[in-house]
Amino acid sequence: MWADTLFIVFISVCTALFGEGLTWLLVYRTEKYQKLKTEVERQCKKLEKKKEAHGDSVDRQQKKKIEREEERLKNSNRDLSLVKMKSMFAIGFAFTALLSMFNSIFDGRVVAKLPFLPISWLQGLSHRNLMGDDYTDCSFIFLYILCTMSIRQNIQKLLGFAPSRAANKHSTNLFGPQPQQMGAFK
Amino acid sequence: MTSTKTKGHHRAKEGCLGSVINRALTSNSQWPDKDEFLDVIYWGRQVLGVALGLVWGFIPLKGFIGLFLFCLINAALVYFYASSFQGVDEEEFGGMWELTKEGFVTSFAGFLVMWIILYSGLHYD
Repeated sequence: MWADTLFIVFISVCTALFGEGLTWLLVYRTEKYQKLKTEVERQCKKLEKKKEAHGDSVDRQQKKKIEREEERLKNSNRDLSLVKMKSMFAIGFAFTALLSMFNSIFDGRVVAKLPFLPISWLQGLSHRNLMGDDYTDCSFIFLYILCTMSIRQNIQKLLGFAPSRAANKHSTNLFGPQPQQMGAFK
Repeated sequence: MTSTKTKGHHRAKEGCLGSVINRALTSNSQWPDKDEFLDVIYWGRQVLGVALGLVWGFIPLKGFIGLFLFCLINAALVYFYASSFQGVDEEEFGGMWELTKEGFVTSFAGFLVMWIILYSGLHYD
């Protein structure tokens, strides 16, 4: 089982690096993205300072200013998401094709034994396409998703592609969760 | 001119990393930049997750108790590191909950991967 599990870790490292590389190529290095990103970061910091200074003041004018800042931040965030969106589709498509290829290679194969019994709604994933009813058998997709969740996020943070916490807090992303949380299920 | 500037920049970056690691290991250090401290918590947690996964897989620990102990140790260590060892004011970081959840899911995933791989490799091959 060593061979299968370590191979799956290797696959998820490669797909994470490939994904980030492609995103860098299509999005992160573009001037438009970098300008928008610094704009969002600057506005976040400015808004947080304003909120700290006048957050609970009753003065209507301050409130109006803060609301205007928030509106501007929302627009910049939306533009940022739009810039990212086109590359996310390209990468999503490439990942889905890659994933279905690996899925067929490992179809019906127990790649690992789970040291715990997953809860019922997880068994659909951890026991996918496996014979028998020993639910400590682990399928490819379950281990691959766990690997991607831990490896991809860490690689994004290491390469500095993960958005800053301030931006994350104010992000009103079009699709709800941040792209890297969505990436975990690609 | 630019090469000495970039070299200086790199040295500044390395210096800053070295100083972060130094401060992370000494108690009651100063954290002017909040993100720096949160990064220390994040990366410390990733290392802790992998380490606990190795230990659980090696023993081997099995079942829900393994998951429960991981969550307990993970949250307890972060709490004691932040409030007793470093003595930071949690409110500055948005409350204890923000510190407790910083990088928890990623470290939990890393822990599970390590635990599963060790357990399958050592006890089922």
